[in-house]
Amino acid sequence: MSICTDSFVPAASAMAKLYGFPAYEFATMPHPLASLDQEQIDSCARELMPQLLRILGVEP
Amino acid sequence: MATAVQGVPPDATDSGAHDSGSPKVDAPDVRAPEVDAPDVRAPEVDAPEFDAPEFDAPEFDAPEFDAPDIDAGEIRAAMEYYARQQWTDGLPVVPVTESYLTEFLARTSRDPSDVVLAMPHLNRECTVRLAAINAAMAGCLPEYFPVVLAAWDALVGEGYVTRAIWQSTTGTAPLLIVNGPVRNQIGLNSAGNVFGSGFRANATIGRSIRLTAINVFGLHPHLLDQATQGTPAKYSACIAENEEASPWEPLHVQYGFDPAESTVTAMVIRSCVHIEARHTQQPEQLGLDIAGTIARTGAMVHETTSATVVLSPEHARVFASAGWSKQDVRQFLYDRAASSRADLAAVGKDAISRNTRWRLPAGHPDALPADESFDPVPALNSPGAVQVMVAGASNAGVSAVIESLGARGNPPSIAKVEGTVKVSSTA
Repeated sequence: MSICTDSFVPAASAMAKLYGFPAYEFATMPHPLASLDQEQIDSCARELMPQLLRILGVEP
Repeated sequence: MATAVQGVPPDATDSGAHDSGSPKVDAPDVRAPEVDAPDVRAPEVDAPEFDAPEFDAPEFDAPEFDAPDIDAGEIRAAMEYYARQQWTDGLPVVPVTESYLTEFLARTSRDPSDVVLAMPHLNRECTVRLAAINAAMAGCLPEYFPVVLAAWDALVGEGYVTRAIWQSTTGTAPLLIVNGPVRNQIGLNSAGNVFGSGFRANATIGRSIRLTAINVFGLHPHLLDQATQGTPAKYSACIAENEEASPWEPLHVQYGFDPAESTVTAMVIRSCVHIEARHTQQPEQLGLDIAGTIARTGAMVHETTSATVVLSPEHARVFASAGWSKQDVRQFLYDRAASSRADLAAVGKDAISRNTRWRLPAGHPDALPADESFDPVPALNSPGAVQVMVAGASNAGVSAVIESLGARGNPPSIAKVEGTVKVSSTA
């Protein structure tokens, strides 16, 4: 499972295409990440969970 | 239809003069046009009031024009084809034919299929042939090609480039520094405007690296090249050392090469910051000005930094006249390039990440416990983290600090230029 901020989706998609997986699906989150504090990171992680479970194919 | 090679569209570069299916692509038939220059004579002048000297106007000879007699529309069509394929850094590129490519490949003993740089994470590699195509597209002359190949050798030796640095948000560029006789043989500028424009060898050798990054490795901006801002040096960054105006040994001799050998030093750079210090003849004043620039907090991404100081001849003489060796300059800069702990804390860079070794605030969860036993905090880890060379005109107290990534204390990556560079008549 790969997670990237939305700013890196074009680059990530280009790499996926390069490796022969053009439809590879990333979990994405808002940019930026590097300057967030712990509480903000925890919040992002909670918001990401439904996306992660869906991509992994976890049944609700 | 001619056989296509990567970066060489047969439709765009073929003169159309040969049979379909031939792999050979000939250069267009270039002929000088006949030019009728006017016979220019001075008018007869009657001086009315004073004794005019007799004046015989010279009869001007017609200048010799050697402009090629070709259809500019075809040239433009080829250039636009390359642009549509995005085989460019944004500027027009030189269309390349097989016959022209042969001139480049003749300048090296290496096989065209030899790999000069591989990027396994991109599943791509650059061969001698591809390097030659892009050198030609960049506007290099064939005699520059051994320098281009040495540049690739130095980049491989430097190591950063194979670790995806050209895709980084930092937005670096490769800087090439050329030493030795090849500088003068191919017209590389080492004097005035050394970082600027106006010299074909400097402009195109550096550009050949960028075009290869784009065309061979696919590092297009907004896609695989994720530079947040980049640097103007991404167009081209190739300088030569002004060995003739330096009071010290050239960079390559410092690292064991013979003065008669030609070399290329490669490094990954982010910025080129200038130093204005026209007022002083005191080496300590000048050294502190440079040290303060090296230690600026904006450049402190990692625990320490590295730099190449490009001294103008005038500044080099300030140090040398006071008896300072190049090593003395490096030692002084190591000793004095530092920031107070308070200054680093003020910008949130007073601690080091336990994971990345990048700078971050002391309160960050990844921060290592601060070692407050030393203050100020050195910006360099050793005298070897700063290189010193001389370039520019001998006309002002102006120098530059090149902020580089990579080796901090290790020797720079230097590669020897293959063989003797023979200069063609087209130079």
